Amino acid sequence: MTEFLTAAVGLILAMLALGLVSILRGPGDADRMMATQLIGTAGIAALLLLGTVTGVPAAVDVALILALLATFASIAFVKKGLPRLEADGVGSAEDE
Amino acid sequence: MNIATVFEIVLASVVLGLAIWTIAVAETYSATVGFVAYSLLVALIWVRLDAVDVALTEAAIGGGLGGVVLLGAAARLRDAEALTVEQASPIVRMSAAILSASITAALAFAILLLPDPAPTLAPTVVANAGATGMTNPVTNVLMAFRGMDTMLEKVVLLLAIVGVWSLASDRAWGGRPGPRHQADPNGVLAFLARLLPPAGIVVGVYILWTGADHPGGAFQGGAVLASMWLLVIMAGLADTPPVSSRWLRLILVAGPGLFLAIGLGGLWLGPAFLSYPAAFAKPLILGIEVAMILTIAATLGLLLAGAPERSSQ
Repeated sequence: MTEFLTAAVGLILAMLALGLVSILRGPGDADRMMATQLIGTAGIAALLLLGTVTGVPAAVDVALILALLATFASIAFVKKGLPRLEADGVGSAEDE
Repeated sequence: MNIATVFEIVLASVVLGLAIWTIAVAETYSATVGFVAYSLLVALIWVRLDAVDVALTEAAIGGGLGGVVLLGAAARLRDAEALTVEQASPIVRMSAAILSASITAALAFAILLLPDPAPTLAPTVVANAGATGMTNPVTNVLMAFRGMDTMLEKVVLLLAIVGVWSLASDRAWGGRPGPRHQADPNGVLAFLARLLPPAGIVVGVYILWTGADHPGGAFQGGAVLASMWLLVIMAGLADTPPVSSRWLRLILVAGPGLFLAIGLGGLWLGPAFLSYPAAFAKPLILGIEVAMILTIAATLGLLLAGAPERSSQ
């Protein structure tokens, strides 16, 4: 079972590295923020598996905080970065 | 090669690659987005190093609140950046690179020179865990063994908020920080701001409570509460309170004030400043932490909200 979970961590890490490629390539900041969201989600999965494999139950708490706060940066991104998004023609009415 | 070693090597190279890109990329805003992702990954590394308390703080501050501060700053700089035509000369850039590289080399050298095993007080801390009735060594160090440092740290938080407020113009002094956010009341953001805070408040209180025996504590819990408050503010469901409000200032001084009062009580009734009577150590520390989580949540929220911009009327 441990081998299976470790292999799962490896797979998620590979996906996370793919998300990193997306951050590096862009082209826009919105694409990069979406990739950061993917890294946050992959991080939650990796933490849960890692906590089980290595016997660190508190890793679940870190995953909880990531789940609550990883969204937070992207909300700020939409609020603060809106002028440029509108200029790119992808803005929404979701702000002042 | 062990599979755990492979995992560590992959994780380290991913983080290193992201760090180099964050430094190298020209645009401040893109670099900030990269830095948020970097913080999320560093939290994974802290868990791998068995420093779960640090991982909690990194996830809450680096990935959450710090990202919001940096994104806000980058958005403000962006307009000014476009106007700047002046480029630093190659000599300045080269010297900056050499300086950074030599600091990195010096740090790496110092770490390689550390004696093995490194001098540590960790066994002493674990051996004396019974003195407070709490088993999380980090909380023991922060609240009891080095309680003085933690108390002064909270006073620094107060000074920071005074520093931010002092940036207000005379007209806005005592007013509400930041702009009044507005969002579509039936939109996604308002929905999230109604859905997430109840769960977030429970998690914040849980992180504080579990901090006595497992990784966690008032700072991480307070950061979660602060971000829930900010979420409600950013969705336009609530306004920031005017900084002149009495209850707000009471909350801001509650944590350091109670800490100081209990510390002085130790000096008056017991042997030394901040000495807890053994029978009441845990209730006293938990009491301080409850006052502190409110102070930390209010302080972090107000630090992110910024200087007062509107008069309170």
